[in-house]
Amino acid sequence: MSTLSEHLLREIRELPAKFPQLRSAVMPALDLAQEEVGHLTPEAMSEVAAALNLDPGYVEGVATFYTLFHTGPIGKHRFYVCTNLSCALRGANEIHGHIKARIGVEGPEEVSADGLFSVEPVECLGACEYAPMLRLDHAYHYDLTIEKVDALIEARRGAKV
Amino acid sequence: MAPKSELRGSHGKTAGPVLTRWFGTENLHRLDTYVKKGGYASWRKALTQMTPAAITDEVKASGLRGRGGAGFPTGQKWSFIPRDMPGEKYVVVNADESEPGTAKDRYLMENCPHMLLEGIAIAAFAVGANQAWVYIRGEYDRPYSMLTEAIAEATKAGHLGTDIYGSGYDVDIRLYRGHGAYICGEETALLESLEGKRAQPRSRPPFPAIKGAWGRPTLINNVETLSTLPWIIENGGAEYAKLGTEQSRGTRMFTVSGHVQRPGNYEMEIGRPFRDLIEGMAGGALPGRRLKVFWPGGSSAPVLPAAMLDTTTDTEELKRLGTMGGSGGVIVMDDTYCVVRGAHRLLQFYAYESCGKCTPCRIGGNWAVRAYERLLAGEDGPAQLALLDRIQAGLQNGRCLCGLGDSAGWVIESTMNHFRNEYEEHAHSNVCSATGAMAVA
Repeated sequence: MSTLSEHLLREIRELPAKFPQLRSAVMPALDLAQEEVGHLTPEAMSEVAAALNLDPGYVEGVATFYTLFHTGPIGKHRFYVCTNLSCALRGANEIHGHIKARIGVEGPEEVSADGLFSVEPVECLGACEYAPMLRLDHAYHYDLTIEKVDALIEARRGAKV
Repeated sequence: MAPKSELRGSHGKTAGPVLTRWFGTENLHRLDTYVKKGGYASWRKALTQMTPAAITDEVKASGLRGRGGAGFPTGQKWSFIPRDMPGEKYVVVNADESEPGTAKDRYLMENCPHMLLEGIAIAAFAVGANQAWVYIRGEYDRPYSMLTEAIAEATKAGHLGTDIYGSGYDVDIRLYRGHGAYICGEETALLESLEGKRAQPRSRPPFPAIKGAWGRPTLINNVETLSTLPWIIENGGAEYAKLGTEQSRGTRMFTVSGHVQRPGNYEMEIGRPFRDLIEGMAGGALPGRRLKVFWPGGSSAPVLPAAMLDTTTDTEELKRLGTMGGSGGVIVMDDTYCVVRGAHRLLQFYAYESCGKCTPCRIGGNWAVRAYERLLAGEDGPAQLALLDRIQAGLQNGRCLCGLGDSAGWVIESTMNHFRNEYEEHAHSNVCSATGAMAVA
């Protein structure tokens, strides 16, 4: 019994056809695996490697290089808070600290007790005119205040029930 | 697209003459609006009335330089591609915008994705490529979906795809998402990533023009560079060269961020002083505060003190002052923030983003971060100053395959040069004059 579903593995096997060379398919494949499992477990990475005829160590090497791949558990909703200089000058560290306190975690490896949230301070996200800002659920949120961040959290807590 | 009220930067009445001339027009991201404005006329002209050599000559005549950071002359870069070499050639678009303080490529893609696509098509035809890959940073969800839609629209309407305008020429534009790595802005690291590897810069030669993506001749240009091409083809290279200065032609996008009243993405003719940008367009300092320092071209560009706001954006002038126009990301800091703390934050960035391939960068960045931590904690300050001085020298001057290590060194060196007093205060009395408080790490 594999970690990744049969139809996902089939999709992964079809990816190389989109690229001039097979290896280019590794990151799109890891995307699919991460989306299905939640994070990249050793089993998920091995199955991606097998589906693409690549060495498991190679696949893990790629997965651990990039910020957007997670090899440990993350919340259903992960806050990526820009804390680079432009955002720090406008209060990003306070925003980041507030989120940690509100969801009850101390670092990026932790997940909130209800499994809903995790938070990670990240480097510049390229939306500096809206600082402080963050990325959550594939969308940017701008001109952050404590109130706005609270609303983002509450909306997702409410959606759970 | 951002609602108009959300557009922060040149648009409408404040639009610039080239890149943002139509910004603020409702639905500019849609094909019909773009075409109504005159979009894709340059591509049609280039493909049906010009030869690749003639297009390259116009770009050379325009004096356009790469807007990603390095500022290499665009036309010259094109001429390195061996047009007659049989087999596949590629255009790769660097849309991995991640230099701290830089958001202008996002602004261009979100407001006018077709302008980028038109530029890509022109460049591809000029260098003889039939396939282009846009390497877009993974966090740019909205630009990614807007480009996806724009490609579909343009292909359906026959501006892209096969036998375009009955010319027999085909061009196919595809998107590839990055996964969060600053180093991918460096063009050979980007190619490694596009090939599905850890993004570590390649040693050169061979240059990407000869051996680039998947081992084939590859032209790599930045989003803003390519977005400028439709204007140049429409109006001619000579017309573009009338804008700007002798060594830096045209206009460019600047992202102004940090301690200003109106952070935003502004198009400005090159050669005007930073004062026009920071105090004019971006509204200057916040009420009751005074500007202290600015990074003129992304966090990698050595800093200038606010007393030098009359410095112009001309490449040569910036070079004389030991800095650069870089990515156009202008980060502004006022007197309420500590320069040492700001430098510490940036060193954390360079240390984290080092790909680990070259020793000085891999070791030096982390070493500098620890020295900053001790300096800010008041632990043996004078020794940390001496150490930082040694580290910055060791990071610089071509000791690494790419510029990441140099950039880290420049942050230390330039902030120490211009704000030695703040470093000395921390080192000798553990006091931070910027906040008036005792320093706390």
